[in-house]
Amino acid sequence: MTVFKTFFKIVNKYKFTILLYTVMLIIFAGFNMQTSDNSMSFVASKPDVLIANNDENRKLTNNLVNYIESNCNIIDIEDTEEARNDALFYRDVNYIIYIPENYSRDFLDGLNPEIEIKSTGNGESSYAEMMLTRYIKIANIYQKETQNEEELIDKINNALLNEVQIEVTSKLDTDNLSRATFYYNFLNYIILAGCVYLICLILSSFREEKIRKRTIISSMNYKKHNRQLLLSNAILTIILWIFYVILSFILIGDIMFGKHGVILIINSFIFSICSLTIAFLIGNLINNKKAINGIINVVGLGSSFLCGAFVPIEWLPDNILKIAHILPSYWYIQTNEMVKTLETINLQTLKPILTNMGILLIFSILFIIITNIITKKRRKIA
Amino acid sequence: MFIHNFIYSFKTLFKNKALIFWTFAFPIILGTFFNMAFSNIENSEKLNIIQIAIIDNEEFKNNEILKKSFEELSNESNEERMFNTQYVTEEKAKELLENDEIVGYLKVEDEEPNIIVKESGINETIFKYIVEEINATSQIVEDIAKSEIEKQIMAGNVNLDYEKLYENIIEEVQNQEVNLNNISNSNLSYTMIEFYTLIAMACLYGGIFGMVAINQNLANMSSKGKRVAVAPISKLKLVFSSVFASYLIALIGLALLFIYTIFVLKVDYGNNLPLIILLGITGSLAGLSMGLVVGTVFKTNENTKTGILIAVTMFGCFLSGMMGITMKYIVDKNVPILNKINPANMITDGFYSLYYYDTLDRFYFNLGSLLVFSCIMILVSYISLRRQKYDSI
Repeated sequence: MTVFKTFFKIVNKYKFTILLYTVMLIIFAGFNMQTSDNSMSFVASKPDVLIANNDENRKLTNNLVNYIESNCNIIDIEDTEEARNDALFYRDVNYIIYIPENYSRDFLDGLNPEIEIKSTGNGESSYAEMMLTRYIKIANIYQKETQNEEELIDKINNALLNEVQIEVTSKLDTDNLSRATFYYNFLNYIILAGCVYLICLILSSFREEKIRKRTIISSMNYKKHNRQLLLSNAILTIILWIFYVILSFILIGDIMFGKHGVILIINSFIFSICSLTIAFLIGNLINNKKAINGIINVVGLGSSFLCGAFVPIEWLPDNILKIAHILPSYWYIQTNEMVKTLETINLQTLKPILTNMGILLIFSILFIIITNIITKKRRKIA
Repeated sequence: MFIHNFIYSFKTLFKNKALIFWTFAFPIILGTFFNMAFSNIENSEKLNIIQIAIIDNEEFKNNEILKKSFEELSNESNEERMFNTQYVTEEKAKELLENDEIVGYLKVEDEEPNIIVKESGINETIFKYIVEEINATSQIVEDIAKSEIEKQIMAGNVNLDYEKLYENIIEEVQNQEVNLNNISNSNLSYTMIEFYTLIAMACLYGGIFGMVAINQNLANMSSKGKRVAVAPISKLKLVFSSVFASYLIALIGLALLFIYTIFVLKVDYGNNLPLIILLGITGSLAGLSMGLVVGTVFKTNENTKTGILIAVTMFGCFLSGMMGITMKYIVDKNVPILNKINPANMITDGFYSLYYYDTLDRFYFNLGSLLVFSCIMILVSYISLRRQKYDSI
């Protein structure tokens, strides 16, 4: 009981560290989780577009603006060029259209006036450009047919009125599932940087030379001492894990109660166990508290960046992902990603997920073995 | 005395391993991670060639316009290629869709094209949009052909070559010139902000050196401070030489980081080298002055002071976009005052304006803000440092 009590006394000392990481998780998870209505029918992507209209109150120009408006998200920002440039740089806007003065008049005169644009060059801006190009092409064609503004607008709109039937096959609640996956991916960093750090600090407190000497000469069997230490660490890990799972229920909601949620939770449990063994390894390897801080940060941030906890895994370069295979986080996050697209759950589809979990357990065993080898060598104090 | 103390301050600071790790090595390691994780983001956002399939039934084969258009859009030698199209049976298409090998497939049924996709998304939307466009084009061709034929007949021209007429119209419709002029700046790589916040972080972390150096001169903080306090030497000289030594070390760390980010990570800071260096030096000064304030104003132990500095720095970096680039934009747009007084953002925004803007107004504004910030901080620490007396320690 002594070890146990001391352990949680030290935990209490570091409660602000836990709080800090938890707040971070809530902020980032909340930040990336604006709720959206999920619908099973097709929702067309709408690029974020800004129109700087210098030819207002002309029917033809307004018609162009209306067409763009009905197919894009119109972003409304301060009416300065600097604000527009900033918005473009930070991808608040993907495409800016500058309609020149007298556009309608020049267009009706067949001058095909130049339109200036600014574009981020990404997929959404390409889509916005397709719309603009299509509209102008159609307008150009009919401009040769008729010079009457009203008639021209009618013809253009008629030609644009064309809807193709589209059907969505996936019945998954993709939006909410991605949110759950994001939360559990981010948890990778929180567990590694928060929990592992905490355990390492506590272990190093127990391993301080004076305290260690005192423990060794005490009547308590060292096996019992180690067992209690291990047990209290495991309890701490499980408490934190339960805490973060409950938090995920609050933040994500419904989807966590489904089968997909269960897999995410089991996966995070196995990863917590694996992290515990990592913490044991680092805690036994290094005694200097300042050094622990540095190492945990590098390990935590490193595996989070390389394995896709912060940046979606599909955006990572292939060679980085190859390196990531040697890290436990990779297998943890890989499973989370698989859950996102898992449509039917049976033994066949679960097989790769179980393999990943198995690999995590093998990692854990490996870390335990290494820790044992190291501690065996270091048991004697000179 | 100045030089003596300068040399020893320099040596003691340099031998502090934890300090050197956090100020020299950590930014470089973090930068490497950034580079690994972000190097591909902008490429993956670009429109790639979309993988699709088309059900190869009779109806599709008979639909000339659809067939020709998709041939053209999937042609590998076409610069504006959009799709990689597979012509398959319906079962095969379903299988491909299930395995995420295609984003969707097209099926022509009862003369109507239908699209089947797995989920909503930008590629799916573009696929749908293009089919609609092709459909609309064929209607336009019909429409124009009709009025053209009417015109010709009215003019008494009865022997029309319909095929030729259609071909001409299709060609005309497709070759309409669209007069767009892209005037966007070519420096649009927004992940650069991450590296600018990294420089900002390194600058402000440099303040820890200043704080530690000050601590060594404070009688209530270290035994060295007690010794120094009773020595009959000008305290201004002592403090100034220690601070100068810490500034120099911070600058060395910053220079290493710059060299690493420029030559290894290929970070683009724009082309104005003297101004980049000026901003680095000023940013580091701001960090140092912040370290001095924390060192002098707060009466706690060194660990807490380090904690305060790191917390302030990280919060500043968070607001200027280190943990998510949009954060900087959100703050800039909605609570501009918060980022106007945030030294991390002054540094980040300074680099951003050098990189993205052609004019230097915004850069000089940031540089000026940093100088004002530093002056205020130095003044505060000067006031709290002078004429200190201890009745007992």
